[in-house]
Amino acid sequence: MILSNVVLQILQVLCVLLLAPLLQGFILKAEERVQRSRGPSLLQPYRDLWKLFHKECVFPDSASWIYWIAPFVAFTAMLIVPILIPVLTDRPLPLSDMGDMLGGGMVLTLGSFAIILAGLDTGNVYGGIGSSRAVMLGILAEPTLILVLVGISLLAKAMLPFVVNHLLLGSLSVYWSPAHVFLILGFFALLLVETDRLPIHSSTHIEIYMIDEARILEYSGPLLALLKWASMMKQFILYTIFCNVFLLPWGMSLLGSPLGQLGSVLTLLLKFLLVAVAVIVVETVQSRLRFYRYQEPLAAGFLFAVLAIVSSQLL
Amino acid sequence: MASDLAIVLFLAPAIASVASLLLQKARIAEYLTAAAAILDLIVSIPMLIEVLRFGPVLALHGYILIDTLGAWVILCIAVVYALSAIYAVGYMRLLDEDERLPLFYTLFSGFAFTMFAACVMNNVGVFWIAIELTTLISTFLVGFEREAESTEAAWKYIVVVSGGISLALLGTVLFYWGGSFVFGPTYAMTWAALHESAAKVYTPLLTVSFLLVLVGYGTKAGLAPMHTWLPDAHSESPAPVSAMLSGALLNASMLGIARFLSVVDGTRTGRFAHSAVVGFGIFSFVLAALFIIRQTDVKRLMAYSSVEHIGVQALGLGFGGVLGVAGALYHMLNHSLNKSLMFFGSGNAMRAYGTKDMSGIRSVLRTFPASGTLWLLGAVGIAGAPPFALFLSEFTILRAGMAGRYRWAAILFIIFLIVVFIGFLAHFRRMYFDEAAEPGSKLTGLAWRAVPMWLAFAPILVLGLWWPQHLWSLFTHISTAMSGGAQ
Amino acid sequence: MFLAHLNSLEASIFSSLAILSLLLAFVMLGSHWLRNYVYAFAAESWLIAALSAAVGYFGGYRELYAIAILTALFRGLVLPWLLVRIIGRLNVKRELHAVLQPSSSLVLGALLVMFAFVIANYMNHESSTAGHVVILALTIMFSMKFIGFLMLSVRDEAVSQILGLLVLENGIFLGSQILVPGMPMLIEIVILFDLLIVVACFGMLVRFLLVHAGTTSSRELQRLVG
Repeated sequence: MILSNVVLQILQVLCVLLLAPLLQGFILKAEERVQRSRGPSLLQPYRDLWKLFHKECVFPDSASWIYWIAPFVAFTAMLIVPILIPVLTDRPLPLSDMGDMLGGGMVLTLGSFAIILAGLDTGNVYGGIGSSRAVMLGILAEPTLILVLVGISLLAKAMLPFVVNHLLLGSLSVYWSPAHVFLILGFFALLLVETDRLPIHSSTHIEIYMIDEARILEYSGPLLALLKWASMMKQFILYTIFCNVFLLPWGMSLLGSPLGQLGSVLTLLLKFLLVAVAVIVVETVQSRLRFYRYQEPLAAGFLFAVLAIVSSQLL
Repeated sequence: MASDLAIVLFLAPAIASVASLLLQKARIAEYLTAAAAILDLIVSIPMLIEVLRFGPVLALHGYILIDTLGAWVILCIAVVYALSAIYAVGYMRLLDEDERLPLFYTLFSGFAFTMFAACVMNNVGVFWIAIELTTLISTFLVGFEREAESTEAAWKYIVVVSGGISLALLGTVLFYWGGSFVFGPTYAMTWAALHESAAKVYTPLLTVSFLLVLVGYGTKAGLAPMHTWLPDAHSESPAPVSAMLSGALLNASMLGIARFLSVVDGTRTGRFAHSAVVGFGIFSFVLAALFIIRQTDVKRLMAYSSVEHIGVQALGLGFGGVLGVAGALYHMLNHSLNKSLMFFGSGNAMRAYGTKDMSGIRSVLRTFPASGTLWLLGAVGIAGAPPFALFLSEFTILRAGMAGRYRWAAILFIIFLIVVFIGFLAHFRRMYFDEAAEPGSKLTGLAWRAVPMWLAFAPILVLGLWWPQHLWSLFTHISTAMSGGAQ
Repeated sequence: MFLAHLNSLEASIFSSLAILSLLLAFVMLGSHWLRNYVYAFAAESWLIAALSAAVGYFGGYRELYAIAILTALFRGLVLPWLLVRIIGRLNVKRELHAVLQPSSSLVLGALLVMFAFVIANYMNHESSTAGHVVILALTIMFSMKFIGFLMLSVRDEAVSQILGLLVLENGIFLGSQILVPGMPMLIEIVILFDLLIVVACFGMLVRFLLVHAGTTSSRELQRLVG
C-alpha cells in the first residue's frame, strides 16, 4: 500500500518534530560516555520539553511583540524546511519544489534571525552579547554555506536536493570526485558551527562564553520550550541535509509504503549515529578556541568550498 | 677477468670496514684500511685496461655495468682512497681519540665502498640509492669530531644534500615515466634503456627531467648555487675525510651528471642541456673565484677551490666534443691528486699551528721544510699554472670552449682563472713568506703524513709535462661512447 | 599505458586521494605545533598508501598492495613514531616563526601550486580524462616538492626540516604511484627503507646537535659563514 503524498509529507515533518530531541539526547549522552561518565538518559530532552511546557511564562517589562513572535517564527521555519529536503523518501514530494536549496537555507536562517532579534529586543546585556556574537558567526559561516550550496549545484547542474541525491546514488565517480569530498569537509565544518559544537560553542553556562544560550536567556516556560525545540530541530535538519544530500545518500524509501517509511526512519537514525559519533570525536579531541580565532575553522570550511568549486570546473 | 677484479675491488673495503667494526682496535683498523685502499688502487688500473680493451662488463643480471667511464672514475676514487687512508694513519693519531678510531675507519671504508658501488650501478634508481648512501655515511664522517662546528656542518650537509638529491630522484622518476611511453609500464631502467628512449620522449618532459637531475646531482657535486653545504662540510671534517669528499665524492656525482648528459645528447633538448651545464659550470667558477679572495680559513679556501674545479669539470662536459670530455676527465684525476695534496698540507698546518685561520699560520717552511715545499707547489698547481697537470686539463677545456658556441664562457673562464690565481696564491704568499711570531710545533707521525703528499705530487708533475697517448685514446673512447657514437 | 585506460570512477578516486594529500601538506605548512606536523604527515602517508592500493586494484598491479601496506606501516606509523620520540627529547614544542608567518606561507604555497600547474601543463601533451589525471599527478608532485622546499627554507626547527624532507619524498612517491605504477618493486622497497635509514640518521644527528651545538634551531647555527 503506497501512502499518499500528503501523508508522506506530514510524516516527514512529524519525523523531524518528534525525533529531534532523541538526536540531541543521544549526542549529550555519548559525549558524557566518551569521557567515562554516565550522562543523562536518552529521553531527557523530551522530559525537559515536557517540564518547560508545564511551567509558567515570565516575561520582562521591556519585551515587545518581537519577543512574543520570535519563538513561533523559529519553530515554524523549522517545520517548513523538512518539506523541502529529502528526509524519508527518495522522490520529490509535491510541495518540495516550493524552494530549492538556497530557499531552504534562507528559511533556516530566518529562524535564527528571529531569535537574534529577540535577544536584542529586551535590552538585556547578555542578550546583546549573544546576538552580536551569533551575527559574527553568521557572517563567517553564511558565505561558506552559500558556496557549498553553489558547489553542489554545479556538480548536479540543478538546485534541488533531490537531484543531487539521485546523482550521487547513480554515479560513483561523482561521489568520489575531489569536488564532492571537499564539499563534505566544508559542510562538516559548517555543521560543527551551526549546531553549537566545539571548537566554537561550549555547553558551559558561564555568561561570558555563551553565544546561543545568551540570546534566549530571557525566555521561560512554553516559549523557551519552543525555542529549544526549534534549535534541536535545526540540528536534526542539518544532519539530514548532510547525510541525505552529501555523505550517505543511500537508504531512503523509493515507493512510499509504510514499511518503507519505517525502514527509512531507522536508516536515518543509523546514519545520524555515524555522523554524531564523528562530531563527538571531533568535539572531545579539541578544546574551545579563543574568540578571535573563530575564523580559522570557518576559513578552512570556506577554503574547502572554494576548492570544491574550482575542482569541479577543472577536473 | 674484469669482473674478478671488481669483486676484489669491492671486497677489500667491505672486509676492512667490517673488521674495523668487529675488532675495535685502532692500530689494526688503520693498517687494514690502508692495505685495502692500496689494494683497490692496484686493482683498479688493470680493471680499466681490461674494460678498455674488451668492452663494458655486465654482471649480476645486468645490475652492474663496468664501462670505461665508470672504470675511470673508480680509478680516480681509488687514488684518493689510497692516499687518504695512508694519510689518515698519521693524522687521526693526532686527534687523541683512539677509542673511536675503529668507528672512523669503519665509516671510511664504508664510504669508499658506496662510492665504488655508485660508479658501477647500471640501474638508474639503484645509482640514486648508492649516492644517497654515500651522503648518509659521509655525514657521520663529517661530524666525527663532535664539536659544535662539526655537528653544525654535518647537519647542513645532510639537509641540503638530501633535499638536492630528492630533486634528482624526481628527475629519475620522470625519466622513467618518459621511457614508459616507449617501453611499456615495466622495464629495467638501465642507462642503455634511457639512451634508447630519449629520442622518442616528448621534448619538454625530457628538458624538465634533465634540469631536475642536473640540479639534484649538482647539489651533490657542489655546483653553485647549490654548493652552500660544501665549504662547511669540507672544512669541518678531518683532513683525510675532506680529501675523500673533495677528490672522490664530487667525482662520483659528476659521473651521474655526465651519464645523464650523454643520455640527452643528440636529442632535441641536447643543446639546452649542454648550455645548462655550461651555465652552472661558469657560475660555480665565478662564484668560487670571488669567494676565494676573501677567505680567512685555510680549509674553506680549499673547499671553494673544489667548487671552482667542479665548475671547470662541468664546463668541460658542457662544452662537449672530444676535447671537452677529455679535458673534464683528465681534470677529474688531476684535481683528485692535487686537492688531496692540498688537504693533506692544510691538515698538517692546522695541527702544527693549532688554528685553521690563515692569519695564524706563518712561515710554513720553517715548520715543514719538505712537505711545506710540496704544499706550496701544489698550491701553484691548483691555481692552474704550468708545469702542473691541472694546467693541461684546463687548457684542453679552454680549447674546447673556444672552438664551439660557448666562447663567452671560455673568455669568462680565462678572466676568472687569473682572479683565482692571484687570490689563491696571495693567501699562500702570506702563509709562507710573512714572518711568524712563533713557529709551529713539530708533531709525530710526520712520515705517515708526508708520504701521501709525495705520492700525490709526483703524478701531478709528471702528468703536467707529459699527457700519455694511452690516456688520450681512453678519453676519446669514452667521449664517443658517451655521445652514442654520433660524433 | 595504464593511464590511457582510466574510467571516470578511477580518475575521481585518484584525484581525490591526491588532492587530499596536497591539502595535508598545506596543513603542515600552516601549523604552529610540531606534533600537528607529524600527525598531518602520518595522515598524508596513509592517504598515499590508500592511493597505492587503489592503483593496484584498478590497474591490476598486485605488488602495489604490498607496497601500500609497507607504506602505511613505515611511513604512516613507524616514521611518525620516531619523529614524535625525537620531538619528545627536544625542548621545543612549538615553532617560533621568525621568517614567515603561517598565513603568508600558505599564500606562498598556493602560488607555488599554480606554478607547478604551469610546469605540469608544459610537460604534458595528452588531453583526455587520463590527461587530466596525469596533469593533476604532475602538479601535485611538483607542488609537494615546492612546499617541502618552502618548509625547509622558512622553518628553523630541526624537526620541521626533517619533515620538509619527508614531504619531498612523499610527493615523489605519490606521483610515481600514479604515473609509473609499473616501476620495479625492488626500487620502491629500497626507497622506502632508505627513508627509514634517513630518519634514523637524522634522529642521531639531532641528538648530536642538541648535545654539542646546544640548539636545534638553525637560526642559531651560525658559526660557519662565508
